[in-house]
Amino acid sequence: MSEPGAFSPAAAALYQRCRRIVRIAGAVVPEHRRDEWTREWEGELWYRVTLLDRASSVDSHATTRLTIRTLGAFPHALWVFSDEARLDPMLQDLKYALRGVVKHPMFSALVVLTLALGIGANSAMFSIVNSVIIKPLPYERPDELVYMYGAFSQGNEASVSPPDYLDYRDRNRVFSSLAGRTIFGTSVLSGGDEPERVRSSIASANFFATLGVKPYRGRAFLPEEERGDHDVAILSFGLWQRRYAGDQRIIGQTIAVDGKPLTVVGIMPPVLDRTLDVQLWRPIPFNTDGTSVRRFHYLRLVGRLEPGVTLAQAQRDMDAIARQLEATYPENESWHLRLVPYGEVVVGGAKPVLLVLLGAVGVVLLIACGNIASLLLARATSRSGEMAVRVALGAGRGRLVRQLLTESVLLGAMAGIIGLTLAHYLLVGVRTVGGGILPRLAEVEIDGVALAFTFALSLVTSLVFGAAPALHAVRSDLAASMKSLGRASSAGASRVMRNTLVVAQVALSFVLAISAGLLIRSLWELQRVETGFDASGIIAAEVSLPETKYKTRADNVRFWTLFLERVRAIPGVEAAGATTLFPLRGGGDTYFYIEGQPPATDADRMNATVSNVTDDYFATMRIPIGSGRSFTGVDRAESPGVTVISDALARRLFPGQNAIGRRLVVDFGRPFTAEIVGVVADVRIYGQLNDAPDLMYFSDRQPGAGFGTSRMNLAARVRGDPTAIVPQLRDAIRAIEPDVPLSAIQPVTEILADSRSAPRFRTQLFTGFAAVALLLAIVGLYGTLVYTVTQRLREIGIRIALGARPLAVFRLVVGQGMTLVALGVVLGVGASFVATRLIEAQLFEVTRTDPMVFVGVSIALLVAGLAACVMPARRATRADPIAVLRLE
Amino acid sequence: MKPLSVSAVAVLGAVSRSVRYGFDIMDATGLPSGTVYPALGRLERDGYVRSKWESQTLAQREKRPPRRYYEITAAGSRALAASLEHYRTLGDRIGVASRKPAAG
Repeated sequence: MSEPGAFSPAAAALYQRCRRIVRIAGAVVPEHRRDEWTREWEGELWYRVTLLDRASSVDSHATTRLTIRTLGAFPHALWVFSDEARLDPMLQDLKYALRGVVKHPMFSALVVLTLALGIGANSAMFSIVNSVIIKPLPYERPDELVYMYGAFSQGNEASVSPPDYLDYRDRNRVFSSLAGRTIFGTSVLSGGDEPERVRSSIASANFFATLGVKPYRGRAFLPEEERGDHDVAILSFGLWQRRYAGDQRIIGQTIAVDGKPLTVVGIMPPVLDRTLDVQLWRPIPFNTDGTSVRRFHYLRLVGRLEPGVTLAQAQRDMDAIARQLEATYPENESWHLRLVPYGEVVVGGAKPVLLVLLGAVGVVLLIACGNIASLLLARATSRSGEMAVRVALGAGRGRLVRQLLTESVLLGAMAGIIGLTLAHYLLVGVRTVGGGILPRLAEVEIDGVALAFTFALSLVTSLVFGAAPALHAVRSDLAASMKSLGRASSAGASRVMRNTLVVAQVALSFVLAISAGLLIRSLWELQRVETGFDASGIIAAEVSLPETKYKTRADNVRFWTLFLERVRAIPGVEAAGATTLFPLRGGGDTYFYIEGQPPATDADRMNATVSNVTDDYFATMRIPIGSGRSFTGVDRAESPGVTVISDALARRLFPGQNAIGRRLVVDFGRPFTAEIVGVVADVRIYGQLNDAPDLMYFSDRQPGAGFGTSRMNLAARVRGDPTAIVPQLRDAIRAIEPDVPLSAIQPVTEILADSRSAPRFRTQLFTGFAAVALLLAIVGLYGTLVYTVTQRLREIGIRIALGARPLAVFRLVVGQGMTLVALGVVLGVGASFVATRLIEAQLFEVTRTDPMVFVGVSIALLVAGLAACVMPARRATRADPIAVLRLE
Repeated sequence: MKPLSVSAVAVLGAVSRSVRYGFDIMDATGLPSGTVYPALGRLERDGYVRSKWESQTLAQREKRPPRRYYEITAAGSRALAASLEHYRTLGDRIGVASRKPAAG
């Protein structure tokens, strides 16, 4: 009946559109009136459309006219709603409150915006905490998942060897499924427009099933594919979308990975992209040369606990297996597994930082609430006459309180809505700048939980700051208020309350300012740390040579000689070298001993970080050579082994002696004997946050030294902007090896800045919070003083009439304000001594009671406080006694 | 009795002249729908108009949903007359008061 089948298409579309508008507006209409209301509108619309259709005049003019008319359904619906609400006392309160909001737009805007700022920041921070820490990992029954590190006498974040993994998998009785995979791997995809380096991982066949992740397309690995004779690969959703344009036909096709053809058998769902930074998966080839050595540890394990098994039980079971393995294989001495809940590994160190930030933003909200309470209190005092009249006219006190609370809740709700919008944009910002700083960043969003949090926060805060004026209304003395009707009464109790609020605000903002100050100093100290090399003008790029083509060390050397020659020929390039260990990337360490002094036990073994470099590396990086020489053309594959060691290592090994000419025996699978030919300065190769490691450098030409040079980093020193030569670098490599990509191209100054991005990020957040807190506290102080001066204008007028000098009046007001500030600062100092313990772990080279920061922040707060006092004080001095007294 | 608002007078006036449907009242008064419908609602609440649904048979014959129409009540007629009188007096008064002295 009401389906517009008889209409022309244009008319039917018009009718449908108008009907949609009516349906939307109808949501406001109370349910028992909605049906009739809707039918009236639809009846009219149908009739009108019929008329238009019959006259064949459904043109754009008529359409617009009718649509605009239909929009009138909104005011109509609102009218019906308010008509229904007329008699509800709760809604009467609301109406009254709404009128109050509209009548005092400036006041309302101030309250709502202040609160919205607090709520928005808190919602955003909570959303982050919720998404990163509270929300379970997006896997099936994530509580059952356990992460396992390899652990031994000298470390507990090591990896596990494939043979050990197989034994743990076969022998354990606590995991329903135990999987392993490599971390930190990369592969080169070739055979397309542009060769590309992707992050890859070699995983046991059951890895995806263990996490409970099902393939998006195709299948996961089969158990028989772990045997090493299956050339198969699985793509991540992101890689599939980007490189293969989401083409399903890729399944079953072969792609070239590191120069080898692999058949794509499956695609993983997007959830894996968000949680693991891997784009290409391959099965572990067990029982091949690379995977049967117990000394080579490179797997991390993930297990799913059998139902009912605790982490401690699992640890005991795995420890028992570790002891069996230790008894059988000597190389397993002290090796075992360390089990950690999977969620903890993912979130890692972000948890304490986020919780502290949440606390800081909570303090900001508290201060904002203080301001609003103070504002409302001021208004309540000036409204006490109105309240008294209402009581006299028969309003119960309960009714008054309810009405005042309705007002606060209304303001809170408005602030909540604005705050939520603010939170949304804050999160957009955090997602943009937070890359690589926060784990699970892609999952950060305002979800139902965060929404509920915001709602609760708005309600609670509005009740908290609304309580002050409500209490005031209940306690206020009716008779006194009536007497002073038309003139605001100066209730002593409310003055005490307001002063307390100001002191608390100053103290809280002091704590935040101290924390921000300490973090800023840390960042500053961090930036000043010497790296030991000159990063300016250096551009880094990674090159990984396919082992299918570059089989020997000599092949690699040939490539690098050619490539570096071409790089040096690029205009603007001053020097170029290469290294296996680059600032903040890569690296490995191994055991060694001084020749003739082999370690008595395993525990006595010494280790150091290893780097293979080309001859020009030290010169390019401007790493000073302390004594001896760098590598030169005389250090060849067949010539005696040589090494250059770092200064700290030299001092550790040969305190007070000359290291040059001494010989080290280094374990690279087989012992490599090297004479120390040079000692170079220490470099903080892992960034300014980390100490300089003990380093042993080897020439890239000597095959027995190092862990292979198929992957090395170019370092080129450029005059001017180092990124300007990127196109020429790409040309240079394409001329030699078109299938090898140049990846991770970045100026080293940028790499260093990135390594400071996490501390910088939290310092910026903290400073922002502290600035807002300080501003709110100062505004609160200012408001309080203005209010007090207004209240005491009569008293001040009399004082002036009796001969008080303006300066004395000025002092009176400033003294009152500064007493509050000083009290707040004293309390703040005390609180900071306790509170800064929470951020101690994030401080760098600064003690948490740093006097410079404490003195600086105290002065800043006192000055800001003074600034807030001056205006009200000047106003007081200008009080005209006659005008004031005439008010009586 | 408080006089009706100008828009209420316009709407009630239209209804009294047998302009009975919401959209027709808009055409007759030139008022937007957001004014006409709340005004009708208020008039009905106060007993100045009553609304009815046209008969199903008529609507069915024309293959369309039934429309709601409004009729003026006796109280409505009185209120309309009183309000018109009020505005007329007011107009006269303003007319006198606002008449400017002749130029010169």
